[in-house]
Amino acid sequence: MRVLITGMGGELGTRVANLAEADERVTEILGIDLFPPRRRIFRSEFHRVEPGDRRKAVRLVRDFDPEVVLHLGIFEPHSRTSPTEARLGTRAYAVSILGAAASCPSLQSIVVRSGLEVYGRRRGAPSRPDESAEVVPTSPFGESMAHVEQVAVEAGEAAGVPVTAVRVAPIVGPSIPSPIGRYLRLPVVAVDPISELPFSLLHQEDACQAFMAAAWLRHDGPLNVVGPGAVTGTQAALMGHRIPFPVFGPGWRIAAAMAELQGAPLPPHARELLVRGCTADGSLGREVLGIEPRPTHEVVEQLYRWSEVAHVAPAQGVVA
Amino acid sequence: MTLDAIRRGVPGATSAAHLGRRLRGRNEIDEWGLDPELVSFADPVLALRWDIEVRGAERLPSVGGAVLVFNRRFGLSEPWVLARGVRQATGRFVRTVGVPDIAGLGPFLRRFGGVLDRTDEIAGLLRAGQLVGLATERDVRSRERVGTLEVQRLDAALATGSPVVPVALVGRELGRQWTIVVGDPVHPRASAGPLAALELAEDVRQADQALLEDALPSSWWF
Repeated sequence: MRVLITGMGGELGTRVANLAEADERVTEILGIDLFPPRRRIFRSEFHRVEPGDRRKAVRLVRDFDPEVVLHLGIFEPHSRTSPTEARLGTRAYAVSILGAAASCPSLQSIVVRSGLEVYGRRRGAPSRPDESAEVVPTSPFGESMAHVEQVAVEAGEAAGVPVTAVRVAPIVGPSIPSPIGRYLRLPVVAVDPISELPFSLLHQEDACQAFMAAAWLRHDGPLNVVGPGAVTGTQAALMGHRIPFPVFGPGWRIAAAMAELQGAPLPPHARELLVRGCTADGSLGREVLGIEPRPTHEVVEQLYRWSEVAHVAPAQGVVA
Repeated sequence: MTLDAIRRGVPGATSAAHLGRRLRGRNEIDEWGLDPELVSFADPVLALRWDIEVRGAERLPSVGGAVLVFNRRFGLSEPWVLARGVRQATGRFVRTVGVPDIAGLGPFLRRFGGVLDRTDEIAGLLRAGQLVGLATERDVRSRERVGTLEVQRLDAALATGSPVVPVALVGRELGRQWTIVVGDPVHPRASAGPLAALELAEDVRQADQALLEDALPSSWWF
């Protein structure tokens, strides 16, 4: 099985590549990303491709002729790129790579990374949407992922293959560069105790397992993957022994600016999550993919458990 | 002797333990915003406001989702009375439909079990095995009449095949004494259709009306 993994330079992409490498059914792996892989890859072939370099991306995909496409090349604003770069990069990768994959004769399935942000959090929106809920994103990141899903569905229709959109809850973990993770680790965390609604999170390892499971199952349609349970922003801050600082209305602008000064910029979808909440019904995802994600409370605890980050001295010459 | 046993013997120790958990962020809040500990904190205050008698609580399912259709006059006390009464009698929370999605009020009411009035929201709750409280239309003119029940409001029950339980609430808006009478569950037919939905709504409303008439005191005005 030839597997194309976009976004291999990200924490998720590299981990998914390692999981694919360990799977004997996978014969060849091609990775594409703007950044190099974050850990050692063993039998994957990696190509660094700028999102705007459509010709190179199309050539690589057509030459490889993938059987499964794992499209993880989604750039989260303020994760590793600026919001504008993230938006443009996500669009460009989706169109060029999924478009090229649609014309590959061996293609059997497409799996795309999406997120709960596609449901949006407008007034009156369902608190815990399932996969049948309307896609009405209310943040730029949600719009980007909704566009990726749309492109993937069009590519799937053109190629006649199933498309699985894995709508993951905000991914947080000890080592993943996530805006909400960085923000919650600040010593003082601005929260809205009057209006805040609960949100669910997903551990990075569970997200990777979900993508790999989706690659083999060939489910046609979206799947929510969510850690059970939910927490509010205030709860998360208290769990990490941070000081929750109450902020209301326009005060969020100041809070966001202060957070940015401390190296934890707060993009609109992260602020939306803190105020309007973000959960979903993940029962179908658990049933189809056969995974049991860690509870949200446990994900928050792991976010603050610094002791799990292993620092290896360079002189030891040991790979962590 | 365990620490819990010592706590039970000391007045206020359990509340202090709960408060300590809240200050460490360890309290539970579910995906819809219900905060069970906050509800138990508010219990003494709610007990001062309402004295509730529940009849027929054994008819409520002990597990799984169900829609409780209840009558209301002005609709201020009824959702609180139903939720508190059912929780006292069965230990289960009732998720009352009809919370406005506005800052401040909406999240506050959600902490006590309020949910949005949306079919998909109710269906999600029923699939998750929750009890959902659904009020009939207000009928401010008479205490003896159950308001209308729109057919579409039972769509979620039909979609999930959950039982619908008629519940009559008897009491005065400014009074303390309330009575909850739970009727026999009505199960939606397997072959759902427009007529099945209409019949279900009619059956439930009639059952609710009969319960209310039986439960009302013979000389209400005195």
